[in-house]
Amino acid sequence: MPQKVAIVDAVQTKHSERLEDNIREIVFKLVRQLLDRVGIDRSEIGTMISSSSDYGQGISCSNSYYYDAVGANHKSGSKAAEDSALAFIYGLMRILSGEYKTVLVVSITKCSEVPSVHTLTNLSADPFFQRPIGLNDVVTAGLQAREYMNLYGLTEGQLARVVIKNLGNAQKNPYTHRSGEFSINDILSSPMMVYPLREMDIASTSDGACAMLLATEEIARGLTDTPVFVEGMGWSVDSTFLGDRKLLSGPLPQAAKMAYQMAGVKDPFREIDVAEICDITSFNEILWLEQLGFCLPGEGGQLIDDGVTAINGKLPVNPSGGLLGANPYIARGLIRIAEASLQVKGEAKNHQVGHVKRALAHSCHGLGGQLHSVVILGK
Amino acid sequence: MGQAVAIIGTGQTRCGNRLDVSYPELIYEAVSMAFQDSGLSPKDIEAVVSGSMPPAMEGVHNPHLYWVDAMGAKGKSLVRIATCGSTGISLAHAGFYHVASGLFDLVLVVGAEKMYEGNPQGVMATVADPFFQRPFLAGAPGIFSLQSNEWAHRYGLEEKRTRMAAAQLSVRNHTDALYNPYAHIKVKITVEDVLKSRVIAYPVRILDVCPASDGACAVIMASERMVKKMGAKPAWIRGVGYCGEEAFFGEGDKVVWQSAIRAAKTAYKQAGITNPRKELDVAEVYNPFTFQEMLFYECFGFCDFGKAVELVENGVVMKGGELPCDPSGGVLSTNPIGATGLQRVAEVALQVTNKAGDHQIPGASTGLAHAMGGLDQFNGIMIISNSL
Repeated sequence: MPQKVAIVDAVQTKHSERLEDNIREIVFKLVRQLLDRVGIDRSEIGTMISSSSDYGQGISCSNSYYYDAVGANHKSGSKAAEDSALAFIYGLMRILSGEYKTVLVVSITKCSEVPSVHTLTNLSADPFFQRPIGLNDVVTAGLQAREYMNLYGLTEGQLARVVIKNLGNAQKNPYTHRSGEFSINDILSSPMMVYPLREMDIASTSDGACAMLLATEEIARGLTDTPVFVEGMGWSVDSTFLGDRKLLSGPLPQAAKMAYQMAGVKDPFREIDVAEICDITSFNEILWLEQLGFCLPGEGGQLIDDGVTAINGKLPVNPSGGLLGANPYIARGLIRIAEASLQVKGEAKNHQVGHVKRALAHSCHGLGGQLHSVVILGK
Repeated sequence: MGQAVAIIGTGQTRCGNRLDVSYPELIYEAVSMAFQDSGLSPKDIEAVVSGSMPPAMEGVHNPHLYWVDAMGAKGKSLVRIATCGSTGISLAHAGFYHVASGLFDLVLVVGAEKMYEGNPQGVMATVADPFFQRPFLAGAPGIFSLQSNEWAHRYGLEEKRTRMAAAQLSVRNHTDALYNPYAHIKVKITVEDVLKSRVIAYPVRILDVCPASDGACAVIMASERMVKKMGAKPAWIRGVGYCGEEAFFGEGDKVVWQSAIRAAKTAYKQAGITNPRKELDVAEVYNPFTFQEMLFYECFGFCDFGKAVELVENGVVMKGGELPCDPSGGVLSTNPIGATGLQRVAEVALQVTNKAGDHQIPGASTGLAHAMGGLDQFNGIMIISNSL
């Protein structure tokens, strides 16, 4: 990282099936809460980057609807669409350029107001070849999981244990949407959606928002006793057509390599203390962990079997409950980063993991994880 | 500021009804031309910035993921930037920050729209909030005609004069478009034609309005150290400014228009420009409507408020004038919206590097590129020069 940039603070809504407030009201209250907590005025914000989706909001040019409500009136700003982790990355680049000292990053999704995410992700398949056969995020994840099972012999029990872990962790997170104590039987008796993925293996959707303040080191130290520094970030994209891609070795290793190199991480399993992963399905948590280099290909199932990724394990994964806990579709990437920063700050309360020096946040969107990003945070 | 950023290659497709190519093929056309222009190939590029209008324009969600292979972006860092009509300038700004941050030396920036595949006005009607504005502010002409009337009324401008000035601008843009190989609408028109053309939304007539086009634009940006290494003679980005304002049309002043004024001020300050009319040699002002182009002249400090009509009457903004505007034919002749702002940037880069061909402004060394978006909500500026 050419210059030290810090997360000063971040706030989230209580994610749920349906947030009653209007989009403008939600982001207004959230940013108000953030500024009050940090103790600064709107006039001290340099620029604003948001993330939302036009299809996912049901309003075209989605950022124009809330631009002033997030406090950006008469300020510069932009929108990194479809994945809020990329808004974070763009905000960070604006500070690195030297032009801005503080950046507000905001993302909101109200899945309750638009068609199902399966419909919307089907719309993101090309119109001629992939869309007519019904590809969407879950179908693609099923294809991936099936290929993985053939190659490495994954069991339904292993998938179920990821769900039990994440929904169990979610019970300790006050902002999450879904949570509970479940048995393997509970998961295995939920309806089959796309073999081998059952209803409970798949992250359902939520309404939710997240706002974060980034600042230069100097500014951040004046605003908080616990700045969290960005040590590395990387992002990478894969081809459009599934047939052109290797479903089990996508662009995530490349994104991770870029982030690790920037952060000076050589052995991620030893050097990273906690990870917040985009578990679009239980299977994807296993696959992404392998592609992040936490274990060798085919060994991801072992991590969950051995309790390595449990909240008290050697590498806790998704102590927040992950997407299985709450999945505001576009805001989820920024929420992963916010949760990772809470862990580094030591402010995650009931779902705090012990001794966190360095945390990883991962986000992805697109069929089969077409575009991935990785952010490494440290003290 | 971080490291200096240059534009080392541009590519524009021929614009218009492009049913001869698919959406990705259209992108590929622009990207290939930018590579040809810069002498680079996809493997040289480290990051890609792409964007367009709301995806409902073409009916493909996540267009950036649809364009990956056409942009040569596989395995690279990609982001989708979308800020409505200002998308093109926001793309250029995002490309600038990618390089200025010090993270990347070579970045590809791509904007596109294929408007013959959908219903542009239908989609744009959904930009307005669903409760208050959408029921009566459908599409683009409604809002811009309101603004035009407000402008003329504020300064008590005589209707005959403003109409004549708008007609002259229309003729200028349509004539200039004849010399731009990429422009969409190529018709020879007279002032009389404009004055007699049918009213779309008073005072805006059909020849005062831009078309909806298919088209793509690609720009390659490089760091100062890469420019030195390549020995290129690029266009340098000297200033960037962007400003957004209230979501509701009635809450802001659209005549003394803060987002336009502030975006220009920020960019001028960075570029060290104190007298834009004297210091700029060319301006590619985002002009989907003739009347609005005049309003921008005032907000950008080309003249005092209420005096833009005189700039037209005195020929200041015409070819051969003190500050020729939109020698490309502007948005009025060509408007693939997601590409339009980036085309303004590409055109200014061509002008200041003396590569604009038949529509070259002789000796142009510094220019302004502009785009506007939302319901009169966003304005973005980039100042581009042939020296740092």
